[in-house]
Amino acid sequence: MSVPAAPPPRKKPWITLNSLGTRLVIFFVALLVLVQGLSAFLVTQANFQIARETIDGELEQGERVFRKLLSQNQARLEQGVAILSSDFAFRQAIASNDNGTILSVLRNHGARLGANVMTLASLENIVRADTLEEARVGKTFAFADLIRLAEADGKASSVVIRDGKLYQLVVVPVLAPEPIAWVGLAFEVDDRVAKELNELTGLEVSFASRIGEAPWKLHASTLSPTLRPSLLGALAGETGLSPRVHDLDVGGDEYETRLTRLESRPETAIVAILQKPLEIGLAPFRRISSSFFWLTVTGLTFLVAGSLVIARSITRPVHRLAEAANRVQQGDYSRHVDVEHRDEIGQLAVSFNHMLDGIVSREREILRLAYEDGLTALPNRAMFNEQLGQAVRTAKRANQQLSVLVFDMDRFKAINDTLGHPVGDQALREVGVRVRNALRDSDIVARLGGDEFAVLLTTSESMEAARVVAGKIQKALEEPLVIDGQPMDMAASIGIARFPEHGEDASALMRAADVAMYEAKRAKTGYALYDPTHDERRQEFLTLLGELRRAVDAGELVLHYQPKMDLKEGRVTAVEALVRWRHPQRGFVDPAQFIPFAEQTGYISAITRWVVSRAVEQCGVWERTGLRIRMSVNISARDLQTGDALVQHVSQALLDAELPAGMLCLEITESGLMEDPGSAQSTLRKLRELGVTTSIDDYGTGYSSLAYIKQLAVNELKIDRAFVAGMEADRRNAAIVRSTIELGHNLGLTVVAEGVETDHELAELRRYGCDFAQGFYFARPMPAASFERWLSGVREKGAVAARSDALGEA
Amino acid sequence: MLAAPLARSASLDAQVRDAAGRPLADAVVYAIPGSTHEARPARAPVAVEQIDREFVPYVTVVQVGTTVTFPNRDPILHHVYSFSPAKTIDIPLYTGKSPMEVLFDKPGVVTLGCNIHDWMIGYILVVPTAHFARTDARGVARLRDMPSGAYDVHAWHPQQRAALAPQRVTLDAPSAPSLEFSIDAPPRKPKYKPPLDRMKY
Repeated sequence: MSVPAAPPPRKKPWITLNSLGTRLVIFFVALLVLVQGLSAFLVTQANFQIARETIDGELEQGERVFRKLLSQNQARLEQGVAILSSDFAFRQAIASNDNGTILSVLRNHGARLGANVMTLASLENIVRADTLEEARVGKTFAFADLIRLAEADGKASSVVIRDGKLYQLVVVPVLAPEPIAWVGLAFEVDDRVAKELNELTGLEVSFASRIGEAPWKLHASTLSPTLRPSLLGALAGETGLSPRVHDLDVGGDEYETRLTRLESRPETAIVAILQKPLEIGLAPFRRISSSFFWLTVTGLTFLVAGSLVIARSITRPVHRLAEAANRVQQGDYSRHVDVEHRDEIGQLAVSFNHMLDGIVSREREILRLAYEDGLTALPNRAMFNEQLGQAVRTAKRANQQLSVLVFDMDRFKAINDTLGHPVGDQALREVGVRVRNALRDSDIVARLGGDEFAVLLTTSESMEAARVVAGKIQKALEEPLVIDGQPMDMAASIGIARFPEHGEDASALMRAADVAMYEAKRAKTGYALYDPTHDERRQEFLTLLGELRRAVDAGELVLHYQPKMDLKEGRVTAVEALVRWRHPQRGFVDPAQFIPFAEQTGYISAITRWVVSRAVEQCGVWERTGLRIRMSVNISARDLQTGDALVQHVSQALLDAELPAGMLCLEITESGLMEDPGSAQSTLRKLRELGVTTSIDDYGTGYSSLAYIKQLAVNELKIDRAFVAGMEADRRNAAIVRSTIELGHNLGLTVVAEGVETDHELAELRRYGCDFAQGFYFARPMPAASFERWLSGVREKGAVAARSDALGEA
Repeated sequence: MLAAPLARSASLDAQVRDAAGRPLADAVVYAIPGSTHEARPARAPVAVEQIDREFVPYVTVVQVGTTVTFPNRDPILHHVYSFSPAKTIDIPLYTGKSPMEVLFDKPGVVTLGCNIHDWMIGYILVVPTAHFARTDARGVARLRDMPSGAYDVHAWHPQQRAALAPQRVTLDAPSAPSLEFSIDAPPRKPKYKPPLDRMKY
């Protein structure tokens, strides 16, 4: 036996294992990157926030310092200007009303304080002198609101724009000792001022203004000139009306920015822009981020290495398991997997080994079941065919001969049916044991199925050896089997076929042996050697069977009627209906040729139904023409097994023919009764309840006990023709006939003798008190019309004459 | 037409109030005769003293041609000056007796200051008439010994926000008409003066 070749493994295992490792690495790396990335993100966010808040805090503080500085600066200027204005010489000069003197004293004293522009205005706000622009003289002083403030406080100052420049303007009165004029000193706010403030506050300081909706103008700044345009750009959206913290992008760097309003004119916005680059706040965090990054990189390196090591430690044993699984797939069960560790993989390996053991033992069991017959433990048909095939191949190569014997049990079905399958199985087991024991070990004995066995003789070359083995088998079965204390006879019909003469291969040999076995069974010879003519006969039988199926429908069956003579009244009161097959090519076919086969195939039921219907119909026809003839019809054991179907059919046929049930008699052979006593008994009882007469046919051949007959609901016994025909030659037969007649009468049965052919026989039967006689002595079976003619002839001539006519006819 | 000179003299009362109707002190009321100018010679020199770092009196009225002295009664020096167009004065640091007499020969307001004490301020109103008086704390000024006749009566105050139109009045002895003036002037706010004990003199 061979196991189908395993397909090649689809994948190289290391790819799968490798990808498991890769997945593991990818998973852990992704996890770490995700976690680190997330925390980096969160930390960066927090850092950014902290940096911003820090910068904002510094900015806020810086703004306070800036404001303080600005107001201090303003106070200083105001004080300086106030002192200047109260200088006696200055006042004297102003009071001189000489314009040249006034202008020069303004220049002179203004320079002491570092003022850029000095203006003198009258108490009526008219400019009297201006160091920068002569043209302003005689015009209204532009910053009258400051004069109003100074009237109240003695001094006033503000940041103003004049001619596009930003100034800190201080206005004080010239007191003599009451105000006689206003003097204004303007200090330009330029990069130097911004730089000073920057040094003190640590912030980037810029001054910008916008008038109405005009764009912002930058007046001074600590930012490098290249950054200034971008500061203005960033300011574009700002109104400057409310101090706010901004995050301005100046030249690509982010600056935290505060706008500080410097004056309160509605139409003009002048702001100080205080800034601190965010980068300064972020710098410490950048260093931390860098450490964080390198930590992550280092962690990743170790993680990848570690994951690979772990993955390898997992995948290596998995790899070995996969290799082992491949070996199993290819049918190699010989090697277990080595268990290295007691971890999960180790447990898997242990489980795998258990599974391997399980597979091995189950496969063994499956093979055993596949090739062994469960009942007898002998090889089964598949195994036998395989071995036969091998043996044939070997024999062919070695130019040897071999023999195949096939046999089954005669009437085994009866055992199964009457005693039940458990008994039948036990019988088969016993047969197997006996045959196996009777033969040599080298001979192969197999059960093919049912009650069919086979023997393969590989070492017995001669025909004679095969016959000897057949004899051994028969001898082994001679002794009755005892099952559950009940002895039973068992006989086998053996067919023998030989290689090479009866077949070139296993199947041909098996068929030949089969045919031979049927021949042995048919011929009741015990065993038979295959003969090609068997095949022809068998072929004919099969053809016949096919044709028989058609015969009923095609009307090829006909009934012949054989008279039953009432010996007491000396006239014919009954006939037995016998079926005949008028084959279109073969002519009349002997019932002995087709009835047994019909019984084997079960087709007999259809035939019986037809016969019953036809016979009852004929009987009805005769009845209506005044011919009162009881009709006997044969039924088979199979018909009895159909039980109610038969009873119903009979009942319906009688109804259809308007015939009293008593006019019909159903005959069944004694051996048929014995095949299934149970169903026979119940069916016969139902038939008798219907009013139909029943008869036991061929009585004396079936070994039935009288006790059994007594239980059966029958009315009639028919003594087998073998006893009647032998009466003259053997007195013992006569004694049997006589005692049977007496026995039947004692049981209240009518007795019929069959096969009466001579005067002597008739005389003896009369002497014994037999009730009816039937046979060629009176008449052969004949068609209905012939029977009618025959009967009218007999009635004309009288009973005795008719008897001699009948003899003459036979 | 010349009326007979009236030997008998008359007087004039003026009540000066501020815009809120409160009596206004330190206001000057002076009357300028309408017809013939009676040239009355200027009187003896007038002193404007410096006492406790203040000009006393705060407001002084003098007739054109009057000489004024500025005696310093404080133990410290003062530098009295005026840049007023009516009269510029510059008396450098001195104490005690006024180093000079100053003749006020032009009518007008002369504002006095001290160069080393900024809060010190005083006014001298130079008027072209001998008939003038300064209101007291009740805001009342009384002009006496005035010959009968028509006069333009003026009122003035150092802090007045606008010049006031004169009121014409005709005096006929022994009648003593009473005039009322309302001058829009803020109440006097003395400038901050450091306390004496802090002055190390």
